[in-house]
Amino acid sequence: MTSQLSTKRAWWRWRPDQQWEGYLFILPSFIGFFVFVILAVIFSLGISFSDWGLTGFKAWAGVENYQALFRDPVFWRALHNTGFYLITIVPSQLVLGLAMALALNQSLRGVGFYRLIYFMPVVTTIVAGAIVFRLLFSTHGPVNGLIEGVAGMFGASVQMPNWLGSTRHSKWAVVFLTLWKNTGFTMVIYLAALQGVAPELYDAAHTDGANAWQRFRHVTLPMVSPTTFFLFIFQAIGAFQLFTEPFVMTQGGPANSSLSVVQYIYLAAFRDIRMDKAAAMAWFLFLFIFIFTLIQNRMQRHWVYYETSD
Amino acid sequence: MKRILILLTVTLALMLVVAACAVPPAPKEAAPEASEAPAASQEPITLSWAFWGSPEEAKTHQKVADAFMAGHPNIKIETMVAPWSDYFTKIQTLWAGGDSSLIPDVLFLWPTPRYAAEGVLENLDPWIKKSGYDLSDYWPALLESAMYKGSVYGLPRDIGLEVLYYNKDIFDAAGLSYPDDTWTWDELLAAAEKLSIPGERYALGMEGGKYQLWVGQNHGSILDDMRNPSKCTLDDPAAMEGVKFFADMMDKGYAMRDADLSQAGGDAAVFQSGQVAMIIQNASRVSAFNAANMNYDVAVVPIPKGGQRSASAGGAAWVMSSGSDAKEAAWTFLSWLQDTDGGQKIYTASGEIFPALQSTARSDAFLKADQPPANRQAFLTEGENAKVGRFGYFPEWGELNGSIIGPAMQRIWAGEVSPEELLPALCEQVDAFLAENGYPK
Repeated sequence: MTSQLSTKRAWWRWRPDQQWEGYLFILPSFIGFFVFVILAVIFSLGISFSDWGLTGFKAWAGVENYQALFRDPVFWRALHNTGFYLITIVPSQLVLGLAMALALNQSLRGVGFYRLIYFMPVVTTIVAGAIVFRLLFSTHGPVNGLIEGVAGMFGASVQMPNWLGSTRHSKWAVVFLTLWKNTGFTMVIYLAALQGVAPELYDAAHTDGANAWQRFRHVTLPMVSPTTFFLFIFQAIGAFQLFTEPFVMTQGGPANSSLSVVQYIYLAAFRDIRMDKAAAMAWFLFLFIFIFTLIQNRMQRHWVYYETSD
Repeated sequence: MKRILILLTVTLALMLVVAACAVPPAPKEAAPEASEAPAASQEPITLSWAFWGSPEEAKTHQKVADAFMAGHPNIKIETMVAPWSDYFTKIQTLWAGGDSSLIPDVLFLWPTPRYAAEGVLENLDPWIKKSGYDLSDYWPALLESAMYKGSVYGLPRDIGLEVLYYNKDIFDAAGLSYPDDTWTWDELLAAAEKLSIPGERYALGMEGGKYQLWVGQNHGSILDDMRNPSKCTLDDPAAMEGVKFFADMMDKGYAMRDADLSQAGGDAAVFQSGQVAMIIQNASRVSAFNAANMNYDVAVVPIPKGGQRSASAGGAAWVMSSGSDAKEAAWTFLSWLQDTDGGQKIYTASGEIFPALQSTARSDAFLKADQPPANRQAFLTEGENAKVGRFGYFPEWGELNGSIIGPAMQRIWAGEVSPEELLPALCEQVDAFLAENGYPK
């Protein structure tokens, strides 16, 4: 226990026993991080509390930029859209990713090939993907053709959705693009987690007479729950920060129906030259994500199972 | 001791890096009189010149720079080109950085009032006065698009006014007479009915964003004053009727819906493929249609009975950076660019623009281009009647139109809501935006 006492010392205290030269090695990277990230972040906080134009500081503005945000209907629309992306994209990605991982965790012939195929969108350029998706989801495109065909088989005629041109469907087009792009990543992480589950646990469950569903529900799910937690947080942050997908696929339209918050930040900064408003939105989004993640972190003890924790 | 020394060095280095980044250089303040560049200087002055454009357009720009340098051996032009999508981010970053050696001296810019309000542009009034540059040669109302608080901050290169392009083959096959300047909305509708074939061909392809053309023709307007607005007037009967005319054309299947048009590749693509018989667009399409050997011509845009021609007087302008350290040379170049014997002629002859100067438009560079369209007079007629109305000439216009008006109108073009339903609600939002930003000022 005496050794533990020494580690109680504040982290910044000089410790002669420590190989302080180590700090020298991380210094080049730290300088870059400090100048281009930390400094810029602190700087943007200052901008958000001032009247800031193209050439710089004009006057202090207090919380005026933040108050103006809440009166801005377009900001609310963007927030609403981002919430929609969050509640559609995150759960579907987790479910789809786990399902794909379970399927590809079998010893099938050519399983490596399938894993490659499903992972391919993750490393594909999003712009190329978006162009293909624009064609797929165009009014007379293959997706509508498929819907028409299926509906025709049942003798029904349906109004073809105008995926990119109507305010009701544009968000879904963005959601599908994002799922296509990112689910492969979820699958790979789950695949690694599944392979880390000890086979003895399944054997024991099998001996106890558990059927396939029970083995999944009571062995697999709890054992991969730390991974689920990680992916949940990771993807929720990704959904909050969604930018490229709506930017290249719908440009936020029509009628701002697919505009995300980060896209609106970009527009405020570079279309409207309102750096102060953009900075205020960025900090608001940061606080939102921070609180969201904090809550999730607190909630995790109710459903995340760490094998080593007892 | 050695350790402390290393630590000190490292700390010092860190502070230097931080200091270098944190201190913004002071902006240069120089009145035209203060910068004295002796004309007889032997040392050539280097001007940096920035513009956006496709590779083909960049070639025309380079031709212009070469022609200028041939006549002005003591000025050297360095060009900086970026595609439209990156251009503004790039120059905004340069301005924000404040390093005058990196900021271009002369730039192509839109919208000028937005940047003038930020103080990065040179007020051209003193230069115009000093050199006696002739402003009366510009199309009516065009200069206003480059003015801020009553002063000229830029010289517009071209005027983006629209004409009606029509496919002669389709008109001949339908047995219709070609559009001319006697056509009203009634003739347009009657022709549209005959020209459209459901599921196969639309009569008209026109970007939704150009709707103000119909509003202005019908004596309506977007705001009560496009320079210093106090309220939205889109819900006035005259404006509403203009919007309804366009929306009805879409509802009846005469005009292609905006989203379908952009998904099909834009108006040039659908006009060339024969999916539409007419488009309403500016002069930028001429070179593409000629290259494709199309059988087409242009006409003035039909107006309602009792209406007025209402082409939009607006175009991107050449501006001078207020931080430029070679303003004398920059003005020489700027005024040469906007001279019928200088840059204007080269741009016009390239077939990419309809010139901002009336004398250039009436010169052989435009009228005797020896290529279709035959009826180039249509551009002149629209130019003579050009008006303020499409764009607001106050700094917040880009935000108002980009975030509120434009997106709301998209719902009409998508057929989701009628103009009667949407416009009053939209006007409430616009009025709230104007009040929030302190208008009228």
